[in-house]
Amino acid sequence: MLTRSIQRGLRIGAISFGILTYLILVGLPTRIGDAAMPVLAVAMALLFWISLRGGVSKQDVSARAPAPLFTAGTMAGLFAGALTATLIAFFTGLLADGVRLQPIFDKIVPQNMAALYGVMPGVIATEGIPALGWLRQTLFLTASGIVGALLVLIERSIRQRSFPRIPWLRWVPLILPFVLLAFVIWLGMPGVTFGGNNRGTIRLLATMVTIGSGIFALRAARPGAEQRVFGLLFFLAIAYLPFTLDQFQNSVMGIVFIFVMIGLGLNIVVGFAGLLDLGYVAFFAIGAYVYAFLAAPFSSPWVTAQLQSLGLPYNQPLVSYWMAIPITMVAAGIGGVLLGIPVLRLRGDYLAIVTLGFGEIIRLFMLNLSDLTNGPRGLLNIAPPYLFGINFGSPREIFILALIGAGIVAFAAYRLDGSRLGRAWIAMREDEDVAQATGVNLVRTKLLAFAIGALFAGLAGQLYAARQVNIFPENFSLFVSIDALSLVIVGGMGSIPGVVIGALALKGLPEVLRGVDEYRIVTFAALLVLMMIVRPEGLVPSTRRRRELHEDAEPIAGVDAPSALEQLATAEPTATQKAGRQ
Amino acid sequence: MAMIEARQVTKVFGGLVAVNSVDLVVEERMIASLIGPNGAGKTTFFNCLTGLYRPEGGDIVFDGQSIVGLRPDQIIARGMARTYQNIRLFGSMTAIENVLVGQHVRLRSTPLGAIFQTPATRREEKKAEQKARELLAFVGLAGKGDMIAKNLPYGDQRLLEVARALGSDPKLLLLDEPAAGMNPRETDAMLHLINRLRDELGITILLIEHDMKVVMSISDRVTVLDYGKKIAEGRPEQVRTDPSVIEAYLGAGVIDVHAPA
Repeated sequence: MLTRSIQRGLRIGAISFGILTYLILVGLPTRIGDAAMPVLAVAMALLFWISLRGGVSKQDVSARAPAPLFTAGTMAGLFAGALTATLIAFFTGLLADGVRLQPIFDKIVPQNMAALYGVMPGVIATEGIPALGWLRQTLFLTASGIVGALLVLIERSIRQRSFPRIPWLRWVPLILPFVLLAFVIWLGMPGVTFGGNNRGTIRLLATMVTIGSGIFALRAARPGAEQRVFGLLFFLAIAYLPFTLDQFQNSVMGIVFIFVMIGLGLNIVVGFAGLLDLGYVAFFAIGAYVYAFLAAPFSSPWVTAQLQSLGLPYNQPLVSYWMAIPITMVAAGIGGVLLGIPVLRLRGDYLAIVTLGFGEIIRLFMLNLSDLTNGPRGLLNIAPPYLFGINFGSPREIFILALIGAGIVAFAAYRLDGSRLGRAWIAMREDEDVAQATGVNLVRTKLLAFAIGALFAGLAGQLYAARQVNIFPENFSLFVSIDALSLVIVGGMGSIPGVVIGALALKGLPEVLRGVDEYRIVTFAALLVLMMIVRPEGLVPSTRRRRELHEDAEPIAGVDAPSALEQLATAEPTATQKAGRQ
Repeated sequence: MAMIEARQVTKVFGGLVAVNSVDLVVEERMIASLIGPNGAGKTTFFNCLTGLYRPEGGDIVFDGQSIVGLRPDQIIARGMARTYQNIRLFGSMTAIENVLVGQHVRLRSTPLGAIFQTPATRREEKKAEQKARELLAFVGLAGKGDMIAKNLPYGDQRLLEVARALGSDPKLLLLDEPAAGMNPRETDAMLHLINRLRDELGITILLIEHDMKVVMSISDRVTVLDYGKKIAEGRPEQVRTDPSVIEAYLGAGVIDVHAPA
């Protein structure tokens, strides 16, 4: 028992050491200043708490006894502390000897180390490692390990006590989005100085949390009138957002909701139909380029030449933004079918590889078909949408269009989910052979998934082209596919609200986190890995997905009860039954 | 009139002749059985009938038309549905949804109809759901429609497979070991259900079965396969006493171990 707790402690300690090392390498201590060690210790205490409680259910917590908890907590803290302190001492020693580590670890500078010791940066250079520094750091983290264990015990005692149900408490999540909206509006008022230089960033974050909390609240609302009323209010709140946000915030939200549209399309292909498509950017690119040909014919040498030979004007858009919508969608849909046909017989990994290639082929076409696409120089001066003669190309209007587009796409996806086709997709995802033997036409069903998914991406691509004004092949690299797939997975495969949450988390948060700039991608990788461990079904999983990933998510009613067959058997045999036995 | 007629059906896997020139006729409203030792080719033969495999030789005539070379979804559209030896439900879907997928070929709604919820689509969906509930009630799963398929008890999962197959309004239902893994009481109830399928719904049944009691009590006609070949055919009592059948099941040299019926 004791050795097991020690082992557990060492394991948690080693992981925590890794996290601490990362935080030091990204230069977090420099940012915090000379209180770095206490702040890190508090953060680590929370981490130890989560690690020590293990698991996510009530049972996991109540199963933890005090003695092994404290053993594990102390060991974890001590181990993580000793390792981290040694590493810091090692770096500091090198720095004190005048070794320049910056070319390798650009944040390992005297300021960073000094913050960890709580001394002035100059001290490191002149006096080297402060006395007792190692011990101080180790003790800090050991303390946070013990605090983490204490937190688990506190949680346990809270959970074991039963609290009276507070009826109004369930209104809190429902009201929260509107409180946040009020906060967002207040932040935008002239004269408000809250947050100082970071006010814009805070406002952006609050906007995203408003939308995110609204999505969760929509699910928490009781179905029926309450959900409808809340849905309407939430809809009005979101509709008001573009008018209160500033240019930068609108611009970020615009791209977030363009990615919501892409994600919803990919969600149909991957989430509903279970076809892993890694080249999804192709349809986004087709939508953008087709709109560019229509709205900026003069940028494409080939289109210009054709128009000239036909005697048509080529220095103005051929069709309006609105007229272009059906054209780009059809083009992207055809692209979807063209990709779908050759991959009909492929499954799983093979499908992923081929679609990956398809995405790259489209990008290479755009790069190399210079006559048509103007190659890497891109298509320039793409016309913005006009409505009643008003230019709709500014970030605010693009955000509005993205909201409308995402709304329409989400509605269509929602309706399809519960339809005959939606059921066929899910059946196909679960067992392709049986689905076919149950009457699902695989060719038609797969092609419809690819085509509808591509239509949505095409719509998003057109809006993207209008937003960017100039588009280049590198806008449509593999990373767009990866982003789209990640946001679908983070949100929860097959979940429509999940896509919105995923887009906010993956496309919105990085804009807020500009502070950690160069380590943004690493941070996200870490978050993704963490999420896949803790919550593999996504942040807002569809009920179906949760069933698939958690065997015991729902109590298995009727397992002990006799099956229907047994109940039938106990009834008197009927005339037919007797006849059948003869 | 013959509901299905297999003529000289042959299926080869590499060097193994899994089904070797098998003839089989099932008349309308008959309950026919296909029996044989493990590896005799029964399920392979089923897979040939339902289009999962394409036989190398022979012809299969279903309801007057040859169905060789058709895809499984085309065959089910013509009225042949099946269940599986190892249950293959859509586990994360509810019981109702499973039956609705079973009705897929009989429904006509289009994606656009679904997005705009046209009156025709709504009417069809409502009717389909009602039919699904009726079918669940028919097989004895009334009230369990909203349960997740994989959470149902084993016996109920078998019933749900039958209900899903019934969703496509089959004329011929192929049951692959419907009573496998069931206790005697459950087996009795399953036999009762199979009789009702024929008597009340007028469905022709072809089943694979290991359990001799099941086969003998229910079948109008029994066909015996061994090593892919048909070795006997006839009424249950004829087949039971056929020496080649006894040899196939119990091995050569064993004589007269069976008591007279």
